[in-house]
Amino acid sequence: MESLPISATNSCFKLHFAFNPFKFQKLRLFSHSLSLSLIAQVAAEGVSFQDDWPYAIHLLALIYAGDINSARFLWKSMPVAVKESNPEVIAAWKIGQKLWVRDFGGVYEAIRGYEWSQDAEGLVAAFSDLYTKKMFQLLQSAYSTISIQDTALFLGMSEDDVTTYVLQQGWVVDPASQMVTVKKQPIVTEQKLDASKLQSLTEYVFHLEH
Amino acid sequence: MEAIQSLVMNIQGLSSSGDISHLHVLLKQAQESLYAESTRLLPVLDQLDPATHSLGYLYILEACSSGSISKEQASALVLPIARFINSCVAEQIRLQPDKFISVCKRFKDHVMLLEAPLRGVAPMLTAIRKIQTSSEHLTSLHPEFLLLCLLSKSYKVGYSVLDDDIFEVDQPRDLFLYCYYGGMICIGQKRFRKALELLHNVVTSPMTSFNAIAVEAYKKHILVSLIHNWNFCTSLPKYTSSVCQRNLKNYCQPYIELAHCYVSGKIVHLEAMVDRHREKYENDNNLGLVKQVLSSQYKRNIQRLTQTYLTLSLQDIANSVQLNSAKEAEMHVLQMIEDGQIFATINQKDGMVRFLEDPEQYKTCHMIEHIDSSIQRIMALSRKLTAIDENISTDPLFLSKTGRERQRFDFDDYDSVPQKFNI
Repeated sequence: MESLPISATNSCFKLHFAFNPFKFQKLRLFSHSLSLSLIAQVAAEGVSFQDDWPYAIHLLALIYAGDINSARFLWKSMPVAVKESNPEVIAAWKIGQKLWVRDFGGVYEAIRGYEWSQDAEGLVAAFSDLYTKKMFQLLQSAYSTISIQDTALFLGMSEDDVTTYVLQQGWVVDPASQMVTVKKQPIVTEQKLDASKLQSLTEYVFHLEH
Repeated sequence: MEAIQSLVMNIQGLSSSGDISHLHVLLKQAQESLYAESTRLLPVLDQLDPATHSLGYLYILEACSSGSISKEQASALVLPIARFINSCVAEQIRLQPDKFISVCKRFKDHVMLLEAPLRGVAPMLTAIRKIQTSSEHLTSLHPEFLLLCLLSKSYKVGYSVLDDDIFEVDQPRDLFLYCYYGGMICIGQKRFRKALELLHNVVTSPMTSFNAIAVEAYKKHILVSLIHNWNFCTSLPKYTSSVCQRNLKNYCQPYIELAHCYVSGKIVHLEAMVDRHREKYENDNNLGLVKQVLSSQYKRNIQRLTQTYLTLSLQDIANSVQLNSAKEAEMHVLQMIEDGQIFATINQKDGMVRFLEDPEQYKTCHMIEHIDSSIQRIMALSRKLTAIDENISTDPLFLSKTGRERQRFDFDDYDSVPQKFNI
């Protein structure tokens, strides 16, 4: 990677982000392990990369990967010119900010509040789906009853849509009080043991006796 | 300059014929003349290849970068050094680890002078991997690397080296700085447990003279402990050096007071305390952490309610922890559930919260694997301890010292035949 010229590194970077939304799992890995060290390696070659670096995509990828700390530090280390002049970067960081202060409804506002470019669109949509799923899990574990209004806020949907959505998940809606009763998922855990556990148990006893 | 030319010839010839030890002798002899010519050496580097002529390259590079350097010179040197670090051969540079470390440290100074710490991060990590004898070896470059990570905000890259367990240290100062900077990286990544462990190591390490690193580490340790454990124990463990036992607390008074105030649980008093010492915290660059301490006070107080009540209304929670509204209390409870700090369900219809027991029953496969890995770790540690113990008990220096003492106190050991038997 070190010997790649900046333009090549950059386009390889963009390529990684531009592929189809079904492979975002791979992207999660990519953004975790590579992108930050990639930026460091490019910097080590002394190339002024900051004008070309796809900061908005990089930010969004970190947000998608749930690495909000790294997103925060990336924002902090950006040159001021980018922070002030690139509207997509600003919009991407807006999502990060809302996540950081856990303004659950604000996240969706930030997602909808900007006309995303073609490169970013897929990524933002994928993040939005992921976030809705995550919020649904949270509501399921934290609430026994919750108002339709709040559910809509947490899941980023209209009140009508959210009613259909939670009904599909088996929750019960009471139209009179505008309250939803949450149906808890039984937690399924695997409890099967295999022979290797016996082996390690033998090793522990051996260790203790010597 | 002719001497230099012939030296370059030697470097080229001997490196390719593989006679590195002979070259090493020659280079040592040429040291003086290299320093004398240091300002004119940079073009010479073009005649050498950093990979095949690593040792010679290192000698010349070190001479180049010695002495004080202007910004222009620094910017000319940064790239050759970075490339050298990337392509040099570990076997050759390990013949002169001190020189290699000094070049890398200068390299750090150069990128700092250029105000581009990010440029140093990747090469410094490569340098560490090349110079260390094993992943358990802490080099003098570790703290430099972490500092560059902090300055360039590459926390994630810095965090990656903190996973290595350290068993071997060259200089005590390296360990202090490594743990201190490492602690700061962990704080940035919100890995508070790991941060506590590192900062704790700074404070409790053996030291003969008191140092500022320990003081700053202790301040951060107090704050992180409040944020993460909602508590702080003011007494230091027994194995702490006596200089720290005696002096540490005198230098951290505003922080100790904060901890006392925190434990009493009154948010109003805590706010007043923060206001009173604001300037001190700010000067120490700890105000951000202090603010996190403030907001964790609410969480601590809510968590304490779970120990007393089974159900409680949101309004009562708001009143007892001094939040403004029931909604605010709900958001705090929700965040704590999300973070796994409490187990509860919120009932919006009745405005009540029901506190639950920890659902973990310690019988899942995942938990068994977790326990397994802990046992494995402890076993590895205990093997390590046994090895060190054996090492020390066969050390002639140690034996001659204890042997002398034993003569005075315990002459039973010198009896070759047992004189009486108890049956």
